[in-house]
Formats: sequence, structure tokens, C-alpha cells
Amino acid sequence: VEEPPEVLTPKPLLSGAVPLEHFLATLSKHGITEVKVEDTVDGHILHLQAEDTLIQLEEDGTHIVCDNNEPLRTVLRDLVLRFLQKL
Amino acid sequence: LIMKDNTLRLVSPEQALKELGLNEHQLRFTCRLQLQDPHSDTDTLSRVYTHLKSVLKGYTIQHLPDGTVMVESIVIKVNSSSEDPNNKVLLLSWSYQDEELGSFLSTLLRKGLPAGLC
Repeated sequence: VEEPPEVLTPKPLLSGAVPLEHFLATLSKHGITEVKVEDTVDGHILHLQAEDTLIQLEEDGTHIVCDNNEPLRTVLRDLVLRFLQKL
Repeated sequence: LIMKDNTLRLVSPEQALKELGLNEHQLRFTCRLQLQDPHSDTDTLSRVYTHLKSVLKGYTIQHLPDGTVMVESIVIKVNSSSEDPNNKVLLLSWSYQDEELGSFLSTLLRKGLPAGLC
């Protein structure tokens, strides 16, 4: 990426939730198998140990915390988006 | 644009979701970037601000007193490791709605800060 995006295209709003078991199965299909799951008050925190990445799953939000690994981030983004409706 | 009770109304997307009985799902990203910079955290953040000001024309860039830089709604913070103060960690956080700009900034800042930046 050399030039900043000139026009910011609005992204659709997202709706729905990411189901833990299905999401773990999807991660596994993509070779991400070392996942430690911790339950929280509002959902779960997934620690992708080999990738040193955290994914916080809640009913109304998902937060992906990773090192600057753009290919991994976009894969995780697209896997999360599979479970959400775009409006 | 939503149709309800046989009338058409123009409402914000957030309001439309509510009226349709759907919950909004916030997708956020936080990226950690390693940066070698032999300055204090505050000075490093100022240098990031100056760099972004020169690269991004036409964007709202703010250096806030709470130690963050904001580009539109993207938040940037600086931390340094206690063992090596030159080893900085930039934290970049954005929502899916700002995906293009967030992705651009993470790629840009990964390259480091240009030499000779005040």
C-alpha cells in the first residue's frame, strides 16, 4: 500500500453473533488448532497460542488483538465475517 | 430507508437495525507494531503524529492530551518495553467500518518512521 485510500467506502453494519463451537471448528479447518478458551462474564476469550493472538467473542462484539501480521488478521477477519450478517 | 406501517422513512443505519429488532455487532481490531525509536513515549507519539500529518492529506488527525493520536476514529497509542525503552510498541485500534484506513495505517507504520523527523 503506497497511497492512502482517497475515498473511504462505508462498510456495511454487522449484525448477529459468532457461535463459539462453530468458530473453533472453522479455525481448525484453517489450521489454527492450538486455541485456549477462557470464559468471561460476557463471552469468551480465545488465545491462539501459536499465533500469539487473542480473539474476544461477545454477543454484540468481536475484538481481534494481534501482532502486525496483516495476512493472519485478514484471514481471521474473514472467518468472523462468515458468521455475521452485513446490512 | 425503511418501510414501516406503509410509510417510507430515512433513518440512520443504526436506527434501522434497532427498528428491525437486530443487534449491531462491533468488529474491532487492535494491532501491535514493534518500533525502534530512541525517544520517550510522548516524543515517539508526536513523531507518529507529524509523520501521519505529512502523509495523510484531507484526513482528520488529532493529537489528544490523553496520549493518543486519532486518525478519523482510529486510535494510536505508544508503550515501551520496561527492559528496552528504545523498543516501542505501537497499538493501533480500529473498527471494521474503518477497515481500509486501519489496514493502510498498519502497513504504513510497520515501515517505521522516516529519518530526520522532528
